[in-house]
Amino acid sequence: MSKSRLIKTGLVLAAFAVVPAVLVGFDKGYYYQIATLAAIFMLLAASLHLVTGVAGLLQLGHAAFYGVGAYVAAILGADHGVGFTVGLPLAGLSAAAIAFLVALPTMRLMSIYFAVATLAIGQMLYLVFLNWVDLTNGPNGVMLFSGINLFGIEIESDLGIYYVVAAVVAVSILVLNRLSHSYYGNALRSLREDDQCASAMGINVTVMKIQAFVISSFFAGIAGALWAYTTGYISPNDFHFSQSILILTMVVVGGLGSLPGVLIGALLLILLPEALRSVGDIRNIIVGLVMFGSILFLPKGLFGEVSALNFARRLLGANWSNDEGQKGIGWK
Amino acid sequence: MTAILELDGLTRAFGGLKAVDNVTTRVDHGELFGLIGPNGAGKTTLFNLISGFTPPSSGEVRFKGEKITGLSAHQIAHKGMSRTFQNLRVFPNMTVFDNISVGALGMLGVGPFSSLFGRSSHAKEISERSWEMLEKVGLADHADDLAANLSYGKRKYLEIARALAMKPDLLILDEPAAGMNDSETTELARFITGLNKEGLTIMLVEHDMGLVMGICERLVVLASGRKIADDVPAVVRQDPGVLAAYLGGDEE
Ligand SMILES: Nc1ncnc2c1ncn2[C@@H]1O[C@H](COP(=O)(O)OP(=O)(O)OP(=O)(O)O)[C@@H](O)[C@H]1O
Ligand SMILES: [Mg+2]
Repeated sequence: MSKSRLIKTGLVLAAFAVVPAVLVGFDKGYYYQIATLAAIFMLLAASLHLVTGVAGLLQLGHAAFYGVGAYVAAILGADHGVGFTVGLPLAGLSAAAIAFLVALPTMRLMSIYFAVATLAIGQMLYLVFLNWVDLTNGPNGVMLFSGINLFGIEIESDLGIYYVVAAVVAVSILVLNRLSHSYYGNALRSLREDDQCASAMGINVTVMKIQAFVISSFFAGIAGALWAYTTGYISPNDFHFSQSILILTMVVVGGLGSLPGVLIGALLLILLPEALRSVGDIRNIIVGLVMFGSILFLPKGLFGEVSALNFARRLLGANWSNDEGQKGIGWK
Repeated sequence: MTAILELDGLTRAFGGLKAVDNVTTRVDHGELFGLIGPNGAGKTTLFNLISGFTPPSSGEVRFKGEKITGLSAHQIAHKGMSRTFQNLRVFPNMTVFDNISVGALGMLGVGPFSSLFGRSSHAKEISERSWEMLEKVGLADHADDLAANLSYGKRKYLEIARALAMKPDLLILDEPAAGMNDSETTELARFITGLNKEGLTIMLVEHDMGLVMGICERLVVLASGRKIADDVPAVVRQDPGVLAAYLGGDEE
């Protein structure tokens, strides 16, 4: 209890005092961009943590829900003059609503088929961003000139924007933390561990999985809106499948099921490539090696509850169980 | 005595194989009821039919007078039935306490909003129940250990404690003594009898006759999916059909 409080206080201090002080010290736009990007990806990783690390559903299309939030915020802002205070929650709710619609038919799929379904959904949404030119402006992306306006106050300074992003991310992560470290989190974990057994405990497995998926997508949408408001320009490639994999890697490297681990994983995978900028394109190889090595030598990631290899094996294994009625069709 | 559970012509076929074949019987309130049979007799399948894990091919299950065939497993759990698994299914990457809490919270219910705001009214009860059950099975000292790190015997008790945290009216145990030595089995028998004395109705599956003969008030014997005996242990023990099934079957 006191230990987790200590961690929380430390993180809040770091986010709202130490980092801003450093940023002001360097006073370069580039560092602000990195800090904002890191915060956004911490939220993306924390939201994926809920559905994949805690509830055990392999979600391969997370970036698409991030994209839904970003497009909703950007289009509402650019075309309809909807500002930050309304656009942000609407972005989250839109991502959640799409997640809900998608979850209804897919949630009863067996785990590995579910993973494939999320991959397909991610790809479909990406194609919508790319090809529905009337709405999304296609590959050219959407420009959003209006910045962040908080209840009539225009936030213009880099530091101010950083503070807004940090505050939204911090509150979101606290909510996700509360959800994953509570009895509700235990219920979700039981799905990850053995969902059939969880149903014998009276847990409505389908409903709980849908909840986790929707909540997770809501926060991905929030992260997307933050991205749109801070960069002022979004395009389909920001939400490509490779981004889903990047977020998943953060979760795996940090540790399936551990929120602090996942946050560190996100920081690592954002900061490492930036720190290695000077070595040129080799940096991607170095980052790849770090990821590979961490799975090989730290099967539970930095702080995980579950070994990633066992997790994958179980996901695949479920496919081969000869439980009657599941054969071939992939339905539970 | 009134029946808590009634099985009526329950049948389940897997392809051409009738794993459970036209079984009719009843379990009364407060009974300690045994189900035995050689390997592959259909005991686990019968439990799966009762608890909603497998739909029957035909026949009906009534629980507390209400038809429950066709309900899903979690709905049946909410009616007051709780089960353990033959192949020991605890949640390995969760602590002992968290494992047990799932039994309690499954019944009491938790939602995302209640756990965010309002400090869920159930939280207190979930924690109290979980501690109560931890102490009941003597695992309180292990509350913060990962379930995967417990010894096999302790995990068996953990699974029972988790089922008890549901505060069921009927507890069904699938081979709880499997893999235990004689002294552990004796202790388990004492524990199960104790639960029954507290008023819990228990249905117990065993593969070998010893434990069940000793503690059960009534027994059903299955062989090749069919009920071949249904009586008090003393009578079942003498039944020539039962002896033949056990001797003829692949005795272990
Ligand atoms: N899902 C299934 N698909 C096909 N056949 C099955 C299935 N489940 C069980 N069976 C078959 O039904 C028969 C009864 O199996 P069941 O597991 O119910 O027996 P049991 O009495 O519990 O045996 P044991 O003492 O080994 O636990 C077996 O022949 C088994 O192979
Ligand atoms: Mg069995």
